[in-house]
Amino acid sequence: MKIGTPKETFEGEARVAMTPDSARQLQKLGYDCLIEIGAGTRAGFSDATYEEAGVTVVGSAADLWAQADIIAKVRQPESSELGYLTADKTLISFFNPAANEEGMDAAKTAGANVIAMEMVPRISRAQKMDALSSMANIAGYRAVIEAGNNFGRFFTGQITAAGKVPPAKVLVVGAGVAGLAAIGTSTSLGAITYAFDVRPEVAEQVESMGAEFVYLDFEEEQQDGAASGGYASVSSPEFREAQLAKFRELAPEVDIVITTALIPNREAPELWTEDMVKAMKPGSVIVDLAAEKGGNCKLTVMDEKIVTEGGVTIIGYTDFPSRMATQSSTLYATNIRHMMTDLTPEKDGQINHDMEDDVIRGATVTYQGEITFPPPPPKVAAIAAQKPKEPLKELTPEEKRTEEIAAFKAQTKQQVTLLSIGALLVLAMGLIAPASFMQHFIVFVLSVFIGFQVIWGVAHSLHTPLMAVTNAISSIIILGALMQIGSSSILITILAAAAVFMASINIFGGFLVTRRMLAMFQKS
Amino acid sequence: MDFGFTIAAYAVAGVLFILSLGGLSGQESAKRAVWYGIAGMAIAVFATLIGPGAELWWLSIILIALGAIVGHQLAIRVQMTQMPELVAIMHSLVGLAAVFVGFNADLMINNIAEIYEANGLVLGAIEDGGYKAIGLPKEINDGLSAFGQLIAKKTGVEIGILRVELVLGIWIGAVTFTGSVIAYGKLAGKVDSGAKKLPGGHLLNASAVILSLILSIMYLSGAGSWTLVLLTLLALFIGYHLIMGIGGADMPVVVSMLNSYSGWAAAAIGFSLGNDLLIVVGALVGSSGAILSYIMCKAMNRSFVSVILGGFGGPAGEQMAVEGEQVAIDADGVATALNEADNIILIPGYGMAVAQAQGAVSELTNKLRARGKNVRFAIHPVAGRLPGHMNVLLAEAKVPYDIVMEMDEINDDFPETDVAIVIGSNDIVNPAAQDDPNSPIAGMPVLECWKAKQVFVSKRGQGAGYSGIENPLFFKDNTRMFYGDAKDSINKLLPLIE
Repeated sequence: MKIGTPKETFEGEARVAMTPDSARQLQKLGYDCLIEIGAGTRAGFSDATYEEAGVTVVGSAADLWAQADIIAKVRQPESSELGYLTADKTLISFFNPAANEEGMDAAKTAGANVIAMEMVPRISRAQKMDALSSMANIAGYRAVIEAGNNFGRFFTGQITAAGKVPPAKVLVVGAGVAGLAAIGTSTSLGAITYAFDVRPEVAEQVESMGAEFVYLDFEEEQQDGAASGGYASVSSPEFREAQLAKFRELAPEVDIVITTALIPNREAPELWTEDMVKAMKPGSVIVDLAAEKGGNCKLTVMDEKIVTEGGVTIIGYTDFPSRMATQSSTLYATNIRHMMTDLTPEKDGQINHDMEDDVIRGATVTYQGEITFPPPPPKVAAIAAQKPKEPLKELTPEEKRTEEIAAFKAQTKQQVTLLSIGALLVLAMGLIAPASFMQHFIVFVLSVFIGFQVIWGVAHSLHTPLMAVTNAISSIIILGALMQIGSSSILITILAAAAVFMASINIFGGFLVTRRMLAMFQKS
Repeated sequence: MDFGFTIAAYAVAGVLFILSLGGLSGQESAKRAVWYGIAGMAIAVFATLIGPGAELWWLSIILIALGAIVGHQLAIRVQMTQMPELVAIMHSLVGLAAVFVGFNADLMINNIAEIYEANGLVLGAIEDGGYKAIGLPKEINDGLSAFGQLIAKKTGVEIGILRVELVLGIWIGAVTFTGSVIAYGKLAGKVDSGAKKLPGGHLLNASAVILSLILSIMYLSGAGSWTLVLLTLLALFIGYHLIMGIGGADMPVVVSMLNSYSGWAAAAIGFSLGNDLLIVVGALVGSSGAILSYIMCKAMNRSFVSVILGGFGGPAGEQMAVEGEQVAIDADGVATALNEADNIILIPGYGMAVAQAQGAVSELTNKLRARGKNVRFAIHPVAGRLPGHMNVLLAEAKVPYDIVMEMDEINDDFPETDVAIVIGSNDIVNPAAQDDPNSPIAGMPVLECWKAKQVFVSKRGQGAGYSGIENPLFFKDNTRMFYGDAKDSINKLLPLIE
């Protein structure tokens, strides 16, 4: 079969869905590759390099769409492109299915199969084809570079002969893929980087990238991103207030703000308000990566760079990946190539559109004349959910009560049995033993009882000291020897003397060594 | 000062002893608890010395002082790794003291009986129509020592019970004595630590027990003191043979069992002397040792009887064959993994004690912690040769106790752990305990270190440990063997941690 990549028709789009490298790999899967003339030029790949890689260069878009069985492209197809679709074709592209009824209907009517790259489920196996992540990574990097381009100072602090330069302070809001890439770039340029996210579990990732996580003084149990496939969801009004208060506090200090907060299928939340922009120092830069969805800052103008009256630059570009077309094309083409590998398990150049496969099923939006969007939830959860604090099984109050009563009864029965056996034994002994013995026996029984109660409480780590101490006190046998030592019989005196000597070794040795051990235990 | 004061002092001492054991529930309160014990002991000894019945007190004080010097030297010189030996040898002293005191009681009974005979009376005879024994004439009675007086006024039944008690005291004391000496020898490496049995095995023990039962019945029916001597010899043999038959890894149970015995011996002697404090303390120590043995047995998922009878119960079938090979790694590899890891768990065992590696381990811990890594220790209840052995060693090396965790506290954390290092332990990290129902240790709770991302095992060389059980952990894909003496191995790592 043939895979073809047309030139992107969207204004200003520089990326291309196939590179000479990816074409070589695709050919290994048994496919023939086609490319529209000049499709890779703006991404730095000339037609000649494609030809070198064995790709057939096709003269026009219409020819390409007609010849290719599989079409791989970057941007959501425009209506003119949708017109080329026929029943035997497969389109792999960004498709924005949630807001593209029209496109899906067109594909459905044509009977074409469409795989939307943004719908690739977020599971480990599918990471290699997660184009959203690769594009977000580039956007995050580029956001810092754009900010630096518009920022009049160094990122890193320096003390030079010509004076001291303070380090720039960067705040990254939203620690998704783009946010983390921005944090990494910013810290490696030497800026002091702060980062915020509504999902507290990403704090660790943020700190691992060298930034400081901004914690809120907020008590409410914060949401677990694992439930929504690792994406953020909408937060409560109280939480939002706490968050905005924290940002107001930070606004006068930070030089560069990069906002990346997006919630799937919703308008971007407003996080950087007008008063915060006013509070910032002149010369500061805001890069709003959410500009396409309305922006995290309401002053942002989509696709433009503006400067406010207060001298703050606000960048609202939406084409950061396209601004680094070579890099983003390489990554995107690799994502496509991995998708093709999964679609071609036999490596025979024939597509096997397996709707049982979680990843392929999830990404497919139209299949054989049917709209298959939205997909059913994947069988494998994207991220392991945090362990629930309560045990899974929820018992009804009655069940609980009966269970408790049963346990209590069993316990009572056991105790009563043990006690009655014990009592019978003691009573039986009382029948034969004289009273003077039984008096001591009571003491013995009670002491064993106290011993059992007390010893259960001893910490595991103190078992060795416990042995040393019991050793020392079991030398209480010295009392017996002391009472016998003054006997008239010389043999008794000698034996008693030996016993006194040995027991006192034990007393002193035992207590001293216990003290020595306990003195060593220390807290960090 | 009469008898009432002594008993009051005993009550105070008893309370102090209970507090001193109860205080061991936490590291901080334990430091105070020892002083309670010391005060209790001082009060008890002082009250006995000034009370009635204690004569020759100057001799007693000299002997106590001598004992103090020896005890002090022992306590100061002992290395923390030798703690199990020290505890064992100290048990033997208590056992022997119990034997001596018991014999004294028997001798005293004989003496008093002779005096009665010389006066034409019978020891233990009861007054007409009463319960009280016919005592000796006052002038003879006054000439006896306090201990003699105590026995002289007993009735026949009381003398009988006294004999039962002293037989018990002597028997348990003697078993404790030889048992502890052998345990000491095994722990100190002076006796081969493997399980050894004389031909006849358990039969020999059983017949010795039966014989001692017969002898004690003979003694009680008045056959004379020679039966008691023979009984003691038998008990000495049982103690020797019993412990010889138990291998090194079961030593935690053995030592706590002997600890318990020394307590019961003291309690039995307390009965025969009519001394309540001895009974109280003996019972406390006895139950303490019993609980420790129980905890240790539970940690090995074995019944007390099977430990005492020695050796492992026969496996129900073929053990699972272990597949794969042991892959070795050098210090550089381990150090690289440690440098990259965030969560590290160390699992020390007897091998660390043998190699005296706790100092090096502590230094490694400090270095890793200084680099912000989360380093913790996982302690299995039967790691080492003494309950709590590893805790004491790590404390000696100044590892803070709040990063030293018990098995139950840490076992669930292994899946989130980057690197687990096993230092000289084997059976307590053996996955066969969970996977292989035919394994001799099946069902024993173990540290699930194989769930960590990477496991390094510091070990002297290939081959199974003491118990001779193959350890599938060593063959797992995420396990690397770090061969060599534990101390040298850890020391090699130190300069490589950056």
